[in-house]
Amino acid sequence: MKTQNLFFTLSISLLMSTLGFGQNIAGSDHDFSGETWNPGGEICEVCHTPHNAVTGLTAPLWNHEVSTATYTLYTSTVSPSFDATASQPDGTSKLCLSCHDGTVAMDNFGGKTGGTDFMTGDHLLGTDLSNDHPISFTYDTALATTDGGLFDPATASSGLGSTIASDLLLANKVQCSSCHDVHNGSGVAKLLVKSNAGSALCLTCHNK
Amino acid sequence: MRNLTITIVVFLFCLPVLMNSQSIINTKHNLSITSPGTVKATSESEICIFCHTPHNSSPRAPLWNKNATGTTYILYNSSTLDAVPGQPDGSSILCLSCHDGTIALGDVVSRPTSIAMTNTMTASGDLTTDLSNDHPVSFTYDAALATMDGELKTPPLLNVELDKNSKMQCTSCHDPHKDTNSKFLLASNEYSALCFSCHDKTYWSSSTHNTSTKTWNGTGTDPWSHLESAYANVSQNACANCHDSHNANGKPRLLKSLLEENNCLDCHNGNVANENIQTELAKVYRHNVYGYTGVHDPIEAISATTKHVECQDCHNPHASNANTASAPFVNGFSKGVSGVNQAGNAVSEATYTYEICYKCHAGNSWAPAPAFSRIINQNNVRLEFEPSNPSFHPVVSPRNNSEITSNLITPNTASTVLYCTDCHASNNSASVGPHGSIYPQILKMQYVTTDNTSESATNYELCYSCHNRNNIINDNNTFSEHKKHIVKEKAPCSICHDPHGISSTQGNSINNSNLINFRTGIVTPSSSGILRYEDTGVGTGRCYLTCHGENHNPQSYGGMGGMGKR
Repeated sequence: MKTQNLFFTLSISLLMSTLGFGQNIAGSDHDFSGETWNPGGEICEVCHTPHNAVTGLTAPLWNHEVSTATYTLYTSTVSPSFDATASQPDGTSKLCLSCHDGTVAMDNFGGKTGGTDFMTGDHLLGTDLSNDHPISFTYDTALATTDGGLFDPATASSGLGSTIASDLLLANKVQCSSCHDVHNGSGVAKLLVKSNAGSALCLTCHNK
Repeated sequence: MRNLTITIVVFLFCLPVLMNSQSIINTKHNLSITSPGTVKATSESEICIFCHTPHNSSPRAPLWNKNATGTTYILYNSSTLDAVPGQPDGSSILCLSCHDGTIALGDVVSRPTSIAMTNTMTASGDLTTDLSNDHPVSFTYDAALATMDGELKTPPLLNVELDKNSKMQCTSCHDPHKDTNSKFLLASNEYSALCFSCHDKTYWSSSTHNTSTKTWNGTGTDPWSHLESAYANVSQNACANCHDSHNANGKPRLLKSLLEENNCLDCHNGNVANENIQTELAKVYRHNVYGYTGVHDPIEAISATTKHVECQDCHNPHASNANTASAPFVNGFSKGVSGVNQAGNAVSEATYTYEICYKCHAGNSWAPAPAFSRIINQNNVRLEFEPSNPSFHPVVSPRNNSEITSNLITPNTASTVLYCTDCHASNNSASVGPHGSIYPQILKMQYVTTDNTSESATNYELCYSCHNRNNIINDNNTFSEHKKHIVKEKAPCSICHDPHGISSTQGNSINNSNLINFRTGIVTPSSSGILRYEDTGVGTGRCYLTCHGENHNPQSYGGMGGMGKR
């Protein structure tokens, strides 16, 4: 009886940790409401606005100045074992790089320019992305077959309820959002979409 | 309902295990706290982090999370290496981030402090910065290399993966993420299949070292103790019987022992191979393979210029087999060995066994001196066995001498050809080679050479194994005074006979027929100052000499008049 109760408790715990109920952006690393460079103290405003958003982006009501940098990519010339086709960051990844490439001040939002608060430390990726996991490349069944060390995104589980393609990719592309939930929906450190304990996040796609 | 819940829960818990049965998770390269190995983190749970990081990696792909060691490595080299290994590059230099032992396993770029670890890398995993005892890496492996070497396969290679620059790297043999074949090998190395993806050793397929299913009998030292996980028999271990891919004691050619003979004798000691050669090599008279280390070289001049002897001088471990041949052709145990032919020219592969002996016993400056001083002295056995000589033992060609052949014991006939090893071989041994003997000159049987020796079947056992003793000591069909000399005067055979032969460059058919070449220490000139033998026909001749106080000046034998002084 006790054993069965233990199993029941563990199964619930497992589900809870997977689904990550009750987490949100407030209090997360992306909650900038207390920053000196955000005098309005709003959480969403640094990135989003309900009106007069930046146009021409694959972005939800974007409110932050977007970087125009050209990036050094992680390509097959960097790694001979890289089989994907690299391209300049696109989609939502460009939004992330608006702050994380260090070329645009964090406080350049809501139409403001000339800000002075730039990202520093480990969060700063710079414009040289050759030492960062590649993004904005198509990750499909064909790539998985060519590489041999990747799961088939069309069929392999993401661990989040559906397939890799469905849960982690955007238009079949790996983007920042494949690993990171910017709104901290999972509550995992570094805003990861799920825990990387046991490198579980890495091994969701990498069949090693 | 409760049963269903339990089933689902059990399935959920088992799922990761099932999915990861061939994953890095279950290998020693999982250095996290969940590692199945003994070298593991005390609390770190991430696996990939010990090598990779998604952001701000070292400048080295793939997203490498270890700093460069900056080390200059000592590279592998050998006299037979045709490849040109450079300082490790490509994937190899990444592997060395841990495997050269200079950077702690927990020191990663993405963590401000070193990840705390339990235990350190094992000795077998630590290649150190001295890579001279490891298989070479980071060299271009192309068709040109295969052609130059002559014993390498031409790419594309089966199972082995060269990198995009056609270089051999650690990853040519190892997949660091997958350990289904032990030691992270790309394919099983049973029967050295992985080695033979590249290495193409001449005659290996018919070699006993390839085919033998012999196992260690459990006595003495385990011949495979140098292997972490040895297979049961010789055939399965194949290259690994003698070679180590990493941390080899014998650096050039990656032999398991620096002492050449030990690579052979830990099996050829009665504990694996049929015959106990180690015992033979412990005898007083021997080819002393223990006496030299680091002198033999596979590319040395075939006619050896520096005195030495190793097993490899007479045996090719990649080619040896149990096939038997007839004299003078080489037996399987000496297949694929270089030699010097009767014309004195080096040959890469001996056809006749005596050609192997000639590498050292044919006039080399350091060649052993003849056992006794004689009228004619010669230490070049190649010249002694020359078929144009006035007399010789039939090593190179048959010796059709009617005076002798009528006294031979079956199966010897006028057409018999002998191996050197018919006389020079281990005594009382199943092995036919001249490994070691209790008798001088590594003779197979007793051959007493001391003056005043009582004639007996055993004292001259070697001679009597071919020559009919009864005929000799009763003066039948032979020198009519044998009985007087060897029975009554107790003169050993060697006083008058020079067993190899007398070179035509020094002797002639009058004075040196019948292998006559007196020992000058015992046989001295006659009262006329003459010391020689003269052949005057079949069964007749005369001698000028003094021996045992007898003056022959001359003394004739045989012929119509029988024995009589002139």
